[in-house]
Amino acid sequence: MAVIRTEKICKVYNPDTIPVHALKDVSIQVEKGEFTSLVGPSGSGKTTLLNMLGALDMPSSGKSFIGDVEVTRLSDRERIRFRLHNIGFVFQHYNLIPVFTARENVSFIMMLQGVGQRELLERADELLESVGLGDRKDARPHELSGGQQQRVAVARALASKPRFILADEPTANLDTKAAMNLLDIMEKMNEEQEVTFIFSTHDQRVIKRARRVVTLVDGAVHSDETTAVDSAVKDNQ
Amino acid sequence: MKILLKIAWRNIWRNKGRSAALLTAIVIGLWAGVLTVGLMTGLLDQRIDNLIDSEIAHLQVHHPEFREEHRPEMVLPDVTELIEWLDDHESVRSYTARSIVEGMFQSPVKTSGVRIMGVDPDRERKTTTFHENIVSGDYVDVDIRNPVILGLELAEEHNIEIGHRIVLTFEQLDGDLASAAFNVSGFFRSGSTQYDRGNVIVNLTDLQALLSEEPVFHEIAVVLHDIEEAESAVMAINEQFDGLVAQTWDQLSPELGTLVLLGSFMLFIVTMVIMIALAFGILNTMLMALFERIREIGMLISIGMSRIRVFFMIVLEAVMLTISGAVIGMALAWGTILILNREGVDLAIFAGGIEEIGWPTVIYPAITMGEFFSITLVVITMTLLATLYPAYKAFRVNPMEVEKDT
Ligand SMILES: Nc1ncnc2c1ncn2[C@@H]1O[C@H](COP(=O)(O)OP(=O)(O)OP(=O)(O)O)[C@@H](O)[C@H]1O
Ligand SMILES: [Mg+2]
Repeated sequence: MAVIRTEKICKVYNPDTIPVHALKDVSIQVEKGEFTSLVGPSGSGKTTLLNMLGALDMPSSGKSFIGDVEVTRLSDRERIRFRLHNIGFVFQHYNLIPVFTARENVSFIMMLQGVGQRELLERADELLESVGLGDRKDARPHELSGGQQQRVAVARALASKPRFILADEPTANLDTKAAMNLLDIMEKMNEEQEVTFIFSTHDQRVIKRARRVVTLVDGAVHSDETTAVDSAVKDNQ
Repeated sequence: MKILLKIAWRNIWRNKGRSAALLTAIVIGLWAGVLTVGLMTGLLDQRIDNLIDSEIAHLQVHHPEFREEHRPEMVLPDVTELIEWLDDHESVRSYTARSIVEGMFQSPVKTSGVRIMGVDPDRERKTTTFHENIVSGDYVDVDIRNPVILGLELAEEHNIEIGHRIVLTFEQLDGDLASAAFNVSGFFRSGSTQYDRGNVIVNLTDLQALLSEEPVFHEIAVVLHDIEEAESAVMAINEQFDGLVAQTWDQLSPELGTLVLLGSFMLFIVTMVIMIALAFGILNTMLMALFERIREIGMLISIGMSRIRVFFMIVLEAVMLTISGAVIGMALAWGTILILNREGVDLAIFAGGIEEIGWPTVIYPAITMGEFFSITLVVITMTLLATLYPAYKAFRVNPMEVEKDT
């Protein structure tokens, strides 16, 4: 079964004043273990679609399913709870809690979930090590570089054991080295733990590394291509 | 809950300047509130104590109509039984009998209407503190013929000095007029200009001799060991004796009751103004803090923090600040009151005005535990009320705020 499925999602902003048709009948499906990028020109609706997939916003019409739950029928409260247990988020501006250390940022979401203290600390350490920040666990966000902060954000997104991770332009604020490093980590998790990633991007270097590329133009799916990436291609990079 | 406490606590330290400002506002609000109440209470207490101690005493006994009519013939009927009763009762500390008539005060300069009070100097000294009001000369127990003491104001109006002779004219018990010369032995100052202009004090025996053949009394003022017992003592006297009426100090001086009411009303206004200023300060600061953190709160709601937790996170921040502020403020306020209560606050700058109506010029602020804690409670409530709106704003944040560019 698909992790996410949308049925003819439309989104109209400001329907009463100057309506903006940000999404037009978008129907897509994402399977477990995919490494999918969402591309398209600025204003094409990438962020809008990610908000729908992440149950952050409600479409004007259409349905959206995560697993067998029709999230478009959930109330605001139910969606918050649903997000906590099912969806991981990585944001363009990292958006860590500035007063918390890396470890606390990763633990935080598990505390919200009610995970026990011992398990939570163990898992936070494990995750930070897996993103290569084993030695910066007690650093606050302002003591970390952008790339390091984004890696903490990935660890945080994974901490809640979500069904999939959504990332809106995760590399937009990173230099090439940090961007590629982040992609390496995401790819490794995708391959080793079958973590499903859906990320939007403008960055050609990032697009190249996606298995599946969904292109949006003017709020509609323009193309949807899956490239068979074999290890030979990858090694060449 | 633990996680909320942790994040709220860290957030307090995040912008130290702002937290310090908020803390200061709470401390000052509390301090100012307590001080205002303390000053006001001190002022009222002193005024009331002063009146009670210097003349009214805890209770008084009169002829039933004396207080309305002030006629000289409205004397206390046979007082021996009452005196015996007062001597026997353990709750009675002391008492003094007085004769009071209204009459004319005549000097070479002019004539004024006055109340003439005949007092027994020995008993009066034991019962009231009026003798402490004498600013120059001697009390009416000085060894001269017909001594009289007057208020400084009256003396000035009549251009009188100690040793001068004046004439008092008043109605006798049988309705005839009596006139007698009195020798000015001293001046007093009671704290109320009005009183000082309208009262003269003579020796009880001198006045009685002029009033009738028999010694007569118009008033007995009684001081008890405990002012709280005034009511029951008054009830006992009224039950036991006919032809006279006993009244407690607050019945005798209803303006004192009004004073207390007026005082509490003014107090209410002043504290309200302080509290509202405090509330708006806090509201403003909390809103500013919130707007700076909209994106962060959007993120928290995005990743799955419930709105109610976000709400309590903001409230908790305020609660922690308020509690710290309240503790500091209470300590500071209590200390200030303690010091001022010992040293006194000199209101000499306003003295002209308040002396006129008989208010003390040096105030010893005082506050009851009840008042102290209710002000603290009001400050805490105000702070919390002022955070409800920012907390509600946080509660309503759209999770998509997280994506907004700064
Ligand atoms: N809150 C909003 N209110 C009104 N219009 C909006 C809102 N958010 C987005 N839009 C409009 O919807 C359309 C799609 O916007 P969206 O942000 O999804 O594009 P995008 O593909 O993410 O663009 P970018 O690459 O610049 O991030 C745009 O025309 C945008 O102006
Ligand atoms: Mg976008």
